[in-house]
Amino acid sequence: MTPIPQVAPLRPSPKLALNAGLVIFVVLYAAIAVVQPNYLEPGLFMNFLRRAAPLLILACGQLYVILTGGFDLSVGAVATLAVLAASILINGDPDATWAVLGTLYLMGIAVGLVNGLVVAFLKVPSIIATLGTMLLVNGLALAWSGGAARGDLPENFRNFGRLVWRDVWLIGSLPLAVVVLCGFVAIAWWGLNGTVYGKRALAVGDNPRAAELAGTPVAATRIIAFVVSSISAVTTGILLGGFSGVSVNAGEGLELQAIAACVVGGAQLLGGRGSIWSAVFGALSLFALFTLLNLMGLPQALRDSIQGAILIVAVGATMWRNRRRI
Amino acid sequence: MTIIPALHMAGISKTFPGVRALDCVDFDCRTGEVHAICGENGAGKSTLMKILGGSYRPDAGEIRLNGRLVHLTHPRQAADAGISIIHQELSLLPYRTVAENIFMGRELARFGLLDRRQMNKRAAELLRRVGADIDPEGQVSTLSIAMQQLVEIAKALLLDAGILVMDEPTAALDERDAQNLLSLIRGLREEGVAIVYISHRMPEVMAVADRVTVLKDGQKIWTRARHAAPVPEIIRAMVGRDLKDFYPKRPSSGPGKVLLSVEGGANAALRDISFDVRAGEIVGVAGLEDSGKAHLAQALVGDEPLSAGVMRVNGKPVSIRSPRQATAAGIGYLPGDRKRDALALRQSVRDNALLTLRSMAGFFARPQRAALSPAAIDSELRDMDVRAADFGQEIGTLSGGNQQKAIIVRWLAQASDVLVFVEPTRGIDIAAKAAIYQTMRAFADAGRGIVVVSSDMPELIGIADRILVMHQGRIAGELPRGASEEEVMRLSLGIAQQEPREAFA
Amino acid sequence: MSSNAISMEPASFNHRKGLPIAAVLAILSAGFFVVIALATGESAQLSLQGIVGLLQRMVALGLVAIGQTFVILVGSIDLSVAALISAVAVLASLLMQGDPAMILPAIIACLGLCLAVGLVNGALVAYGGINPLIATLGTGLIIQGVLAASFADLQGAVARQFQVLAYGGMLGIPYSVLLLALLALAAAFILNKTLFGARIYAVGGNPDGARLAGIHTERLVLAAHVIASLFAGAAGLYLAARLQSGTPWIGRDGIYDLESIAVTVIGGTILAGGKGGVAGTLAGVLLFASLDASFNMLGIDAFLKQVLRGGIVIAAVAIHAVRYKGHVA
Repeated sequence: MTPIPQVAPLRPSPKLALNAGLVIFVVLYAAIAVVQPNYLEPGLFMNFLRRAAPLLILACGQLYVILTGGFDLSVGAVATLAVLAASILINGDPDATWAVLGTLYLMGIAVGLVNGLVVAFLKVPSIIATLGTMLLVNGLALAWSGGAARGDLPENFRNFGRLVWRDVWLIGSLPLAVVVLCGFVAIAWWGLNGTVYGKRALAVGDNPRAAELAGTPVAATRIIAFVVSSISAVTTGILLGGFSGVSVNAGEGLELQAIAACVVGGAQLLGGRGSIWSAVFGALSLFALFTLLNLMGLPQALRDSIQGAILIVAVGATMWRNRRRI
Repeated sequence: MTIIPALHMAGISKTFPGVRALDCVDFDCRTGEVHAICGENGAGKSTLMKILGGSYRPDAGEIRLNGRLVHLTHPRQAADAGISIIHQELSLLPYRTVAENIFMGRELARFGLLDRRQMNKRAAELLRRVGADIDPEGQVSTLSIAMQQLVEIAKALLLDAGILVMDEPTAALDERDAQNLLSLIRGLREEGVAIVYISHRMPEVMAVADRVTVLKDGQKIWTRARHAAPVPEIIRAMVGRDLKDFYPKRPSSGPGKVLLSVEGGANAALRDISFDVRAGEIVGVAGLEDSGKAHLAQALVGDEPLSAGVMRVNGKPVSIRSPRQATAAGIGYLPGDRKRDALALRQSVRDNALLTLRSMAGFFARPQRAALSPAAIDSELRDMDVRAADFGQEIGTLSGGNQQKAIIVRWLAQASDVLVFVEPTRGIDIAAKAAIYQTMRAFADAGRGIVVVSSDMPELIGIADRILVMHQGRIAGELPRGASEEEVMRLSLGIAQQEPREAFA
Repeated sequence: MSSNAISMEPASFNHRKGLPIAAVLAILSAGFFVVIALATGESAQLSLQGIVGLLQRMVALGLVAIGQTFVILVGSIDLSVAALISAVAVLASLLMQGDPAMILPAIIACLGLCLAVGLVNGALVAYGGINPLIATLGTGLIIQGVLAASFADLQGAVARQFQVLAYGGMLGIPYSVLLLALLALAAAFILNKTLFGARIYAVGGNPDGARLAGIHTERLVLAAHVIASLFAGAAGLYLAARLQSGTPWIGRDGIYDLESIAVTVIGGTILAGGKGGVAGTLAGVLLFASLDASFNMLGIDAFLKQVLRGGIVIAAVAIHAVRYKGHVA
């Protein structure tokens, strides 16, 4: 057991990982600009951000769960539920908007609590538990709406996704969705860096048993993560309602995009590594990739395949890196 | 050197991240010989055997069987080469029958179809041979740990191997079963089997070994015939220096007020546990693997809570149902399996040291302020002499000793009153060991208490002010400071209540 | 050994051969079905035809679940089965185009595809060391994406003669039910009576122990994944025969990934591996089929049915998972 000289840490520091996510985004956006040069105009960039906002917000929520070592596959269904519920509950009445927003968040929190409680106390692997709630929430949304879009969204609700302020100083135009996005990212950043929660989440994701024995409230940490994730899903749903109106598959497939986004940004699946910037730049990169593929004429449906490949390659790369260390 | 040994390992080296586990070790074993390997925990015994078993590949060195060079890259190859190993960790299938376990990987089959009848018959014979009265068709999960150990031994005998390696085979056995095993070993030796016997129980080694090899810190110290290797010499070679200045001096003053007390504590694994820990005191807990000593530690920290009895901290009755409640009550836990139970390997040294403080702080506590700040914890890490290029570095890259020190800092920062310390120096090099003992003593001298659970008997005797010895879930007895290993062992084996007699004649 | 040994396993482990759990579960499911049938006045459901109908409901999920049992027994899991079922159904319709001469080549091509997917899954898990949940989620997504992109408006149908698999029968018993029974018996035989089966249990029960006992654990994990994929392929072929033409969403809509895991776990196979068997899994499938039939008799709306199923899946996995101390993520 002779101690041998310490080698320098082999892993890139978090700062480097942040830059990697940013670098991927810049490269992809540059490629978009080559194909469509007008993407460099501030107006189109703002529009790009506006369209990316739902995925970005969802990725920030998902990151909380990923840090603690889990997955939340129910967020797409929660976003759909938010859209359908909003249109049914508001039914075109602008005065009802604010009360309904509160209701939507309460529903989201309820789903998050169910996810968290099932994972933390019933010990169901989150990938299975949240697949179950995904079915459950989807079924509820469809049963409630009768399987088709029903009701109507008033202008003031749709503004969250649609409103764009023109002639803003310096940047030209500013969509409300981008303001919502910045607000959400700021709160998510604060949760991880302005409180002790972030470090607890990382420890739980890294080694839940060690965290528990060190006194960490493991169950509470997990439950909070799922609640944050569900809240992000409701926010996403509200923006989507503004973008594209009411539809029964508004949030379909978003859960896997959110997970893939975090992974692209350098968060580690099964926990213990990642920062809010992994989610932000990962989501931007993924959205830029989709935009680019769209511009190049690739079918949308291949998105699933790309995400699948990203998941396998990302986890495989981590495994390979870990193995090389031993 | 006219005889070619059955087993010859030459120049074996193996390095793990941060630790040189084996450094150019030579070892051989002849047919019809019992060759014992002695060494402290972490001396490299198990690594050497894992290399022989094909689980690890050595970085350097060669293995010859009856003079023939072999490359063992999978346990299968080792088995096919006639090497049979009884592993320290049980490797049984809990939901399968005893016979199915004994024949795991060597099932009797015709055209791919299992021959259960024949397997049960052969299994029964093997079990008789190891002196175990076990139904081959019973499910393993219903057996006690000792019985499971005997199944492991039967499993190893199935191979009819030329070389038999036993890694701490008696760890879970009571005296009668251990005696049976020793006579079995003598029988196998008569049959010409080369037996490698790993143990740190000196009486057993003296009873069966023909030759003894001592390993220390991954290096071979010497190999001698048994009659040329008296026990004190072996121990000196194992420890490598005089035990006296290895352990810190005890304070002259007596212990203070009671910090922690348990009365009539019991749960599924423990019964009738009553003891107390006073300020300034280090209380040792000894016992065999299945004595319940690990369960006692887990009960104190609420990991496996007591279901009966009263626990008091500073005189106040407390109900401890979870590690978080234990932490809040002032009890800290340093688990024996650091990798599994204590470390968040991919987090930084600093984050690991801050984990408990952060976990107990209010949710909205600012992570950069006061005790939670990097500067505060860095100075504590420096005081503990945790050696890292940068405290922002992943703790997984540190050596075992430095990792352990960082975990100690975690609990010092939390200012716990009582530490429950399990296997404090397992897998830790000598220099760090001494530092950890010093820290433990200093912690106790500051008016706090430590419960130290250890399988390392010299360590317990050296560091503890008194030793509780556990046997079958109870505290079998208490020994004052300066007890001998024999006394501890006798209580551990549960033979003190009966008429005193020589252990391991 | 003294008689007062402690820290024994709970006595409930004494009924060891999965069979009692399976029997209890099967009786409960059948009883539930009978009660609902009587309560709703649908006594026709209790005729031979009704019971055959119930058994037929078991076929698709039963086939997938038997394969899933193999992977779970070795301590792995397969989330790609739903996408693979779709792929097989689509491939079968695409190749046959209603031509009976193409039946055999199409079946061979489909099973070849399953073999390939199984090998990829197994290689990623066993040799790549990638967490099986993620690896198989990933392969499932890749298959799903390619399907959706290429075959969204599929023109093709299986041969009419091939549909005999779903609609034909002998002595009043559909061929599909016979196929399930035959494959279930074969799987049970393999697990209980053969060397290969014994090693499947060994690898799942204690991977390190199995390795030390000289078993090539990676090969067994690989084999289990291949078996799971082949069984998923059989389910896909059956669905293609029943629906005449496959769609890229047939597997996903049937939630075969999640439900196959749920019934396997309900049937007493533990997610950690090494314990369980086909009998329990089939009993779990019977439970789901009975629930399904009962929902129909009760006239429960299709969406609400989905809600109930989601809830039952979580509850079922939870009932078994909660016994284990420790953490999941």
